[in-house]
Amino acid sequence: MRSLDRLFENSTRALARRSSRRSLLAGLGQLLTGAALLPLLPVDRGSRARADEHKSGPESCDYWKYCAIDGFLCSCCGGTSTSCPPGTQPSPITWIGTCHNPADRRDYIVSYNDCCGKTSCGSCECNRNEREKPMYRPSRNNDLNWCMANADSNYHCSVSVILGVAEK
Amino acid sequence: MRSAYVRSALWLCLLFSAHVLADTAPLAPEHLTAQPLPPRGAHWLFVFDEAFDNEIDARVRLFDGDSYHQLGQIDAGFSPSMNLSPDGTTTVVATTYFARGSRGTRTDVVEFTDNATLAVTHEIVLPAKRAQTLPTLFNVAYSADGHFVYAAYVTPAASFGVLDPAHGTVLSEIDTAGCVLVIPSGPNRVSSMCESGRLLTVTLDAQGHEAARTMSEPFFDPDKDPVFVQGIQTPQGYAFLSFLGEVHEIDLSGPQPAFAPTWSLVSAAERGQWRPGAEQVGALHRTLGRLYVPMHKGGEGTHKDGGTEIWVFDTTRHERIARWPLQVANLGGPVVTVQVSQDPAPLLFTATGKGTLAVFDALTGHLKHVEQHVGQTPWMMMTP
Repeated sequence: MRSLDRLFENSTRALARRSSRRSLLAGLGQLLTGAALLPLLPVDRGSRARADEHKSGPESCDYWKYCAIDGFLCSCCGGTSTSCPPGTQPSPITWIGTCHNPADRRDYIVSYNDCCGKTSCGSCECNRNEREKPMYRPSRNNDLNWCMANADSNYHCSVSVILGVAEK
Repeated sequence: MRSAYVRSALWLCLLFSAHVLADTAPLAPEHLTAQPLPPRGAHWLFVFDEAFDNEIDARVRLFDGDSYHQLGQIDAGFSPSMNLSPDGTTTVVATTYFARGSRGTRTDVVEFTDNATLAVTHEIVLPAKRAQTLPTLFNVAYSADGHFVYAAYVTPAASFGVLDPAHGTVLSEIDTAGCVLVIPSGPNRVSSMCESGRLLTVTLDAQGHEAARTMSEPFFDPDKDPVFVQGIQTPQGYAFLSFLGEVHEIDLSGPQPAFAPTWSLVSAAERGQWRPGAEQVGALHRTLGRLYVPMHKGGEGTHKDGGTEIWVFDTTRHERIARWPLQVANLGGPVVTVQVSQDPAPLLFTATGKGTLAVFDALTGHLKHVEQHVGQTPWMMMTP
């Protein structure tokens, strides 16, 4: 009983020794000063620009070539928008999209191949469906596992490869 | 002085607790058991989870819409499909396994699970041709009498397998000339959807071999207004919704499909603005004739975007009878899956692409419960 009482008392006194109203105010002051100084620190405008570019580039679902893709972007999985990640195999059969490139204002036929042989990448899931059609029109359908005909039909990620300019 | 009072009170509490603990009997030794499944409830829900982030590990979760508890799980392998037997006693899962987990020899198989125990009872190994695609009611399906099971094949050449679930055998493979999926009707008919908007219907003999086939006239225009392949069961067949919101009801009770005049989910002013969109685009209470559709505002290419509202229709009068806006932010996104129980006090279930399940009173739209994480990517739900 007495020992417990002493334990509480000692721990309370120790806390009081370690802290004070003054130290609390000092800590708050440091925090406020630091916050006020933050806007004065130099900003890497270049990296901001790269981030914006990155946002609409091949690692972004908004990238123009991905207008009918459905799956994980290989650009985020160790590959690029036109190459499969190391150790995976491209599917020889694909579905097709027609996407508009705002940079040159042309429409392009794009082949969406899957990369196969490892389990799903799980990064940068992207599901866009411009002119996508259900399974009864398989060449325009992005629901099928296009690794289906590979020796190892496990699905990993998807790429988009320009086949040519779409004829009007 | 005040601290002395507090100290005394603390000591009193401690003394009292010690006294109570000393007088309480110790806990009895426990016995490890396997929990039996309770009898089937009116609001059981099978939640198909593609587990898309790690797709070799899909599963079907059994959720109870009354207790809001998960009751159990059926494992489902890679990019599977599921369905229920006509009497609801069996879950059939068509799936693929790789010999080394994520790689190695591919085995396609149909597995049967007893819905009274959630144990797999038997399986049928398929040729490595199974359609690996998003879930629909028509990837694997039972005949109306439960005598046959049909499995859709895509290699990408299209065909289907006829299976004998009682004897665990593959009876035949039927070439479908590019038409896909297995829409069952009666004891021995299978219809498949064709690129031209037609239905191919194959009639089987008693041994599960092709006896006859017919091709319908086109019932939709795949270029102008495609229909979703996620059909909705009706009393006489199935209804298919189009991207723009037309309802195509097909009566499959006769030897040939009969197409009812289409009706629309949207008014002329709403057409092209509001549209259905989801992985499972509708659910019908077949006795009440109430159709529930996740709807959203969007243009071409948004047909998988999910619903921000549930629209409720009277399928007899072809009229919208309610609009239930969804609290999308609280539900974790738009609704991509919808299902309704078939009892007189029905529940409406919705799920988002992030795995949040909501339970509504299907008669009033009152939100009864929100369950987080019923799965990673719950893309289809079924009620027995």
